[in-house]
Amino acid sequence: MKVIELKNLSKIYNPDTIPVRAINDVTLSVEEGEFTAIVGPSGCGKTTLLNMIGGLDISSEGSVDIGGVSINEMSESELTTFRLQHIGFVFQAYNLIPVLTAKENIEFIMVLQNRDAKTMQERSDDLLDRMGIKDQRDRRPSELSGGQQQRVAVARALASRPKFVLADEPTANLDSGSTEALLDTMAKLNKEEKITFIFSTHDQRVIDRAKRIIKLVDGEIVSDEPR
Amino acid sequence: MILSLAWKNIWRSKRRSFVVMSAVAIGVWSIIFMVSFYNSMIGAISRNSLQHDYSHIQIHHESYLSEPGLGFQVKKPSMLMKFPSQISDIEAVSARLIVNGMVASPKTNLGIQVYAIDPADERAVTALSGFLTAGDYFTNIKRNPILLSQKLAEKLKVKVRSKVVITVQDLEANIRAGAFRVSGIFHSKSPRINNGVIYVRHEDLSKLINLPDTAFNEFAYLLKDNESLIETKQMMEAKTNNLVRTYREIAPEFDMIEESSTISKQVITVIVMLALLFGIINTMLMAVLERTKEIGMLRAIGMFKSKIFFMIVLETFMISWVAAPMGLMAGFLTNLYFEKNGGLDLSQYAGALEQYGGDAIFYPVIAQSTYFFLMLAVMMTALIGAIYPAIKAVNLKPLEAIRKL
Ligand SMILES: Nc1ncnc2c1ncn2[C@@H]1O[C@H](COP(=O)(O)OP(=O)(O)OP(=O)(O)O)[C@@H](O)[C@H]1O
Ligand SMILES: [Mg+2]
Repeated sequence: MKVIELKNLSKIYNPDTIPVRAINDVTLSVEEGEFTAIVGPSGCGKTTLLNMIGGLDISSEGSVDIGGVSINEMSESELTTFRLQHIGFVFQAYNLIPVLTAKENIEFIMVLQNRDAKTMQERSDDLLDRMGIKDQRDRRPSELSGGQQQRVAVARALASRPKFVLADEPTANLDSGSTEALLDTMAKLNKEEKITFIFSTHDQRVIDRAKRIIKLVDGEIVSDEPR
Repeated sequence: MILSLAWKNIWRSKRRSFVVMSAVAIGVWSIIFMVSFYNSMIGAISRNSLQHDYSHIQIHHESYLSEPGLGFQVKKPSMLMKFPSQISDIEAVSARLIVNGMVASPKTNLGIQVYAIDPADERAVTALSGFLTAGDYFTNIKRNPILLSQKLAEKLKVKVRSKVVITVQDLEANIRAGAFRVSGIFHSKSPRINNGVIYVRHEDLSKLINLPDTAFNEFAYLLKDNESLIETKQMMEAKTNNLVRTYREIAPEFDMIEESSTISKQVITVIVMLALLFGIINTMLMAVLERTKEIGMLRAIGMFKSKIFFMIVLETFMISWVAAPMGLMAGFLTNLYFEKNGGLDLSQYAGALEQYGGDAIFYPVIAQSTYFFLMLAVMMTALIGAIYPAIKAVNLKPLEAIRKL
């Protein structure tokens, strides 16, 4: 089943002043259960593409369908609801709320979804366990390593039971040990629970772990290959 | 959870929150302090001129006001004398014959009002005898005793037992002069009396100007309490065809003082609240700008604008909610302290206060509703102060969170 379908997608920044064509005519679909990396040199449009898939930015041309639903015409508040219910986000940094503990950060998104307390409790315990950060559950982000923080971020992304997880350079701030550990966890989730991950990266070690690699240059797909 | 998140957010910058909280607490405290002592001062001024000068109710001939003097004497004075026994709310009455005149000592002479009174009655109504600073109350001098204020005594350079000459006009406009001796020197709480009233016995003045001992042009009544003021006035009006007026009618400044004190208190409150408002806006704005990325992230993962708005408003509210009761409490305790410990003694500045008829010692006076009102004012201020930072927070683009690393 297709979770993402992009048709002739383009993004032009500053169309009225100095137009920048960040994404140019991208057509692409992602199936459920994929573990896909978007790669390419800096400025090639990775973040722009992920933002449009995630409903954080609006395309200039073309269409974005998520789980068969077009998000092109959605209003701002519809997009907010859509992101909350269907998309998990992991950013490079500033993922977590500094005053909340790991567990509370995971539960926070479920609070936004108005889940009941029991569900929240069970799900956050389960995720902490699977992410291997059970012992850090009551620590605040500042008391966690970068790798642990990113695992909390992945757990938070999964807590909302999204259709897929978007991760923009999730390992950019991590050392190689933490990068490996985070990727292990993500790969395991993908393999055992069919969680769909789409991430962007520069990092060769991350690229090596992907099952599909989409290469962008100047906003266009130059190669799209399984591994 | 948003509630607890907002609460935790307050403590992210402890120092900053503490500064705002102290500002709110000190602001609230200072309003209570100022209002309490303002009330105390205004209360003293009103009370003093009511008790020691105007009395609750006065009766005059209806034409006396347009032509004060001996010409329009009170009609049926013996009737008016009996009011205290007829109307239960009346405590005491003093009948006066008031005439303008001059008082002369070997040094100088001054224009004054002569109040010819019955010493016992006047004492019962205005507590005049309680203000003596030298001499005594009409008893030490056998013939023509006189009471005058310290201020006048100083101007005239006279002491107890000094001789003064009083000059007045009688009904036929003949000048009549009489020699009097200072029996006592007083210092009243009424600036008006200190500045230009001297007291003589009614019998002495009536003899001097050849009037019967039933000639009066003013009756002053002291009531048991203020509550029955209007009722008592109406009862009196039913019994006499003289002009009956309450102290509020006699001296409109009572209303003016009250009105202007209300305005002053409002101005004080508004100024303090405005200062707090800017403090709150500034702090919350800083708190929002510091968290640009975090708020962007929250928007990105699906937190609604309305919830972000609510969160910021809540944080602002919490800061003031914590601080306002502390300020109220501090104000309450300050008042309690002064109540228990003999008031705030401003005798050093008593000169200025007395000029306005105030007291040197302040006992804080505050209506309980002021506390509620202040709490409300702080809440309103916090709400208004929250709006701008909250709008700023809401308008942050989720994209910024991910872009600017
Ligand atoms: N807000 C913007 N306004 C104008 N141009 C922008 C804006 N955001 C991105 N761009 C431009 O669009 C192009 C794609 O940027 P994007 O951030 O998507 O690249 P990227 O592949 O994520 O780069 P990196 O690897 O450095 O993160 C770049 O040329 C960039 O300068
Ligand atoms: Mg990027």
